[in-house]
Amino acid sequence: MLFAVDWTQLAQQTVIGLSSGGTWALLALAIVLIYRSTGVINFAQGEMAMFSVFIAWSLVDHGLAFWAAFFLTIAISFAGGVAVERVVIRPVEAAPVLTVVIVTLGLLFVVDGASKIFWSPERRTIPNAFSTRPIDVAGVAFSIQDLGNIAVSLGLVVLLWGLFRYTKLGLALRAAAANPDESRLLGIRVSWMLALGWGLAAALGAVSGMLTAPALGSFDQNLMQPVLLYAIAGAVLGGIESPLGAVVGSLLLGVFVTLIGTYVGWVGTTLRLPVALAVILGVLLIRPTGLFGRAEARRV
Amino acid sequence: MRRALGIGLWVAMVVAGLAVFLLLPHFVSDFHSRDLAQAGAFFIAIIGLDLVTGYTGQISLGHGALMAIGGYTTALLVVHEHWRDVWTIPLAGITAGIVGFVVGLPALRLSGLYLALATFALAVALPDLIKKFSHFTGGTDGENFLAQAPKQVTGLGGITIFGHSMTQNHFLYYLTWSIGIVGFFLAWLLVRGRAGRTFRSVRDSEVAAASSGVNLAATKTVAFALSGVYAGVGGALYVIQNEIVDPLSFTISVSILILVGAVVGGLGSLWGLVLGALFVEYLPTLSTHVSTRPGVPDFVYGAAIIVVMILLPTGAGGLIQRLIRPLTTWLYTRP
Amino acid sequence: MGRAVYLVAGLLAALALTTGASGAGSSTPGVTSTQIVIGGTIPLSGVASAYQTVGRGAAAYFRYVNAKGGVYHRKIVYLIKDDQYDPSQTINETRELVEQDHVFAIFNSLGTEQNLATRPYLNAMGVPQLFVASGALTWGKDYAQWPWTIGYQPNYIAEGTIYGRYIAKTAPKSRIGVLYQNDDYGNELLTGLKRGLGKKGKLIVSKQSYDATDSDVQSQIAKLKAAKTNTMMLFATPQFAIQAYVYARKLGWRPKVYVNAVASASNIMGIASNATDKKQTEGSISIVFLKDPTDPRWKKDPGIKLYRSIMKKYKGVHPNDVYNVYGMSVAHSFVEALKKAGKNPTRASIMKAVTHLNVHNDPFLLPGIAVRTSPTDHFPLDQARLERFHNGRWVAFGGLFRVR
Repeated sequence: MLFAVDWTQLAQQTVIGLSSGGTWALLALAIVLIYRSTGVINFAQGEMAMFSVFIAWSLVDHGLAFWAAFFLTIAISFAGGVAVERVVIRPVEAAPVLTVVIVTLGLLFVVDGASKIFWSPERRTIPNAFSTRPIDVAGVAFSIQDLGNIAVSLGLVVLLWGLFRYTKLGLALRAAAANPDESRLLGIRVSWMLALGWGLAAALGAVSGMLTAPALGSFDQNLMQPVLLYAIAGAVLGGIESPLGAVVGSLLLGVFVTLIGTYVGWVGTTLRLPVALAVILGVLLIRPTGLFGRAEARRV
Repeated sequence: MRRALGIGLWVAMVVAGLAVFLLLPHFVSDFHSRDLAQAGAFFIAIIGLDLVTGYTGQISLGHGALMAIGGYTTALLVVHEHWRDVWTIPLAGITAGIVGFVVGLPALRLSGLYLALATFALAVALPDLIKKFSHFTGGTDGENFLAQAPKQVTGLGGITIFGHSMTQNHFLYYLTWSIGIVGFFLAWLLVRGRAGRTFRSVRDSEVAAASSGVNLAATKTVAFALSGVYAGVGGALYVIQNEIVDPLSFTISVSILILVGAVVGGLGSLWGLVLGALFVEYLPTLSTHVSTRPGVPDFVYGAAIIVVMILLPTGAGGLIQRLIRPLTTWLYTRP
Repeated sequence: MGRAVYLVAGLLAALALTTGASGAGSSTPGVTSTQIVIGGTIPLSGVASAYQTVGRGAAAYFRYVNAKGGVYHRKIVYLIKDDQYDPSQTINETRELVEQDHVFAIFNSLGTEQNLATRPYLNAMGVPQLFVASGALTWGKDYAQWPWTIGYQPNYIAEGTIYGRYIAKTAPKSRIGVLYQNDDYGNELLTGLKRGLGKKGKLIVSKQSYDATDSDVQSQIAKLKAAKTNTMMLFATPQFAIQAYVYARKLGWRPKVYVNAVASASNIMGIASNATDKKQTEGSISIVFLKDPTDPRWKKDPGIKLYRSIMKKYKGVHPNDVYNVYGMSVAHSFVEALKKAGKNPTRASIMKAVTHLNVHNDPFLLPGIAVRTSPTDHFPLDQARLERFHNGRWVAFGGLFRVR
């Protein structure tokens, strides 16, 4: 039975799964960062990333070279993230969690609406950071773009890890999220730490958007909507507080979803997502904090 | 003396509310009665969500899916088994209640964020599941009452009840809000009594509740089941009003809508929920009235939600409580 | 006293005469002596909002017609309601149009499921459901059961049939792989393909579906390649058609591509070419029935010049969007039908007009295409040409296909 499997097809679909997962991993990182620094899942993260892509497009359209536009967009998105936190999140910082969740949902519509006001809904492209020339290894095809996306994700994981573990700023961010009241007593400006967290997440989102758009061929205002779902799923699978978990979780999810869709007939494409979510639910029931999550100690 | 006044005020409020309910359709156009009926369907689902999330502290982002269960139960009974639409409502509620119970089981193991995401996953997955089992559910085409079972639709062309004849729109309004008022009353009794205290104890501190002898598992699953019944009834009424259902009728947007309605209405209290239902019913239309330029309705919709949340973080219910606190304090303290 | 009575009687008589003469609100809803009110549902927000130009183009055309005096001195008031592509909302909005806005007819509502949802209601109420913006077969086929409903664009089965027949005739040894969207639109294109292939149906070696909510179709393209197909049918919306080209290139695979009309607009092909390389899109085949405003071959065409002037003067949005052209064509046909319906149109007379159309002067359709219906032919547009993508441009070849 084992030898009846078409190994090339299996390898190819696995590579495709890693490629899909790689695009989700970047957004998953942004979601984890926001959660870790502010305790909230930002449902508008995808739309903010999409808005960044449009900014990048406009910059390139006005004649800026791609890499200049790339980094300028990251800077603009960082500022935008900070601004959003100051204007929209700060007034509800002390409110119940669900109120903040609703605010991020409102933000989703606001950003989506704004993107439609400024840009028409036709399909656009931005230049590719990585080459899409096909590379063939033993009958399995992939491209530098696939490797590049995964490499960038892992690189960002290392950067974030370094930030949180080894810098004073990272420590302050973690303290502000874990224990706002005591952090204030220590002189940490908690409010600005939250704003910083949002800015960093928005910057990460911008990277995610600018790498995802070419990976999916073209983009419009709906770019990130299916990606958001998979990114949240991947982040949860990996452990919502772990950047490494976000990347590994997304890659695993990508491979799993692709292979299940390919090899299990009754699942096909329609049931890929429900099955994936069911599996994640199963994982959570066994390990409630995800694959890489640490168990929380709660004060009673 | 003050107590009598307090009770008197309370009774007057209830009577006024009932009067509004009975007479409103005659003051708004026939067509708007149907909008109000739809607000009523949301109202019932919102009560359910408030019971499980506001009172018991179990976050559910999947109530749209429970509405879908109720709605599809109604649709399938009407189209395939030829039941009259209104008689399917109880069964729709029970079915959704059972599913709610099942949804509550992971709540025993997951909490907070993870529970929210699990229920979110259910809401996202349900339309795909409905499409997959198309021979049973009608697939992407869904079920259309007027095309497939027009005789089972109550009130088409006008109806006479208790000697009064009325249009179909008015009938739907009275049907929905009667059920809504009854449901509200039952919920009110529930949260006033022992069950309500049990729910709130689980919300406030599970450890404290458990050490006081509360059966956490039973409480959580019962809360979910109960909220499922409400959502199912709301979903059934929604489908009866629209006379059609398909996988896109209950996407994640509906779950979000119900959640927004509950939070705006005020979690943990019941009185503001009507306002929450009206908010989610009319906000989309109002957004389009501002302008139909591309993007503007979405922007206005989101901005309105954000502004309301900033101004009223505890929702309309919280506001109402703050406003009447001086009054109740005055009424119920000895001079 | 006596004079007062005569005065009042005279006023009453005058009042009775005027209301009788104007016919306002008496028998035909939506028609007064100065205007005629129609309405439809379009997704103005939400996932399908890119299609809204189907309505906006029509609205601009009506503004142009009104500026020239309207039809029999009546201005056309076209109400567009947003249904967010959700059939339950479509029902609500359509009811509002009929029962509150009292429209004369429902016109140019978009979406297959959306119009299926409202069709029973509109036919029960005797409200014309005109020129449904969807390519499903049922709008033209089931008129006996639903006499108030009629479609417009060439239906998807017809389109698939054209491809099937062409392949059967010119490349009978192809190995065909199909990427199709898992809904009525994709399924009907596939059914048409099989019908067109006839006895050669076995040429279809692999069929891969996807959902509109999927994030990418890499896996499906890989499966098509693994099945050793050399012809790829793209029965997909623009977003996924572009992806198909991109992923085929990533796999180092260059099949012959047939791309359906919905996804073949010039700017989409341009994106696909730039995202891959020129060779990947070279030789792709599609059908066409509208003039694409970004296509250089229509630069000096009077029809497209009219299109551009209307877009500029009458507040059109997204002038390069071909769906606007569709909107103008369907609005043009409605105006022709309205003229035919007589000086005092009724719902019955407009239905008679739309089932007896013979319009040859539509400036927005390809030369030679007519809008034609008869009591037994409820397909207004059933002609198209094949076109091939060559050196970055679509070039039509062969004659006009007529497919039923």
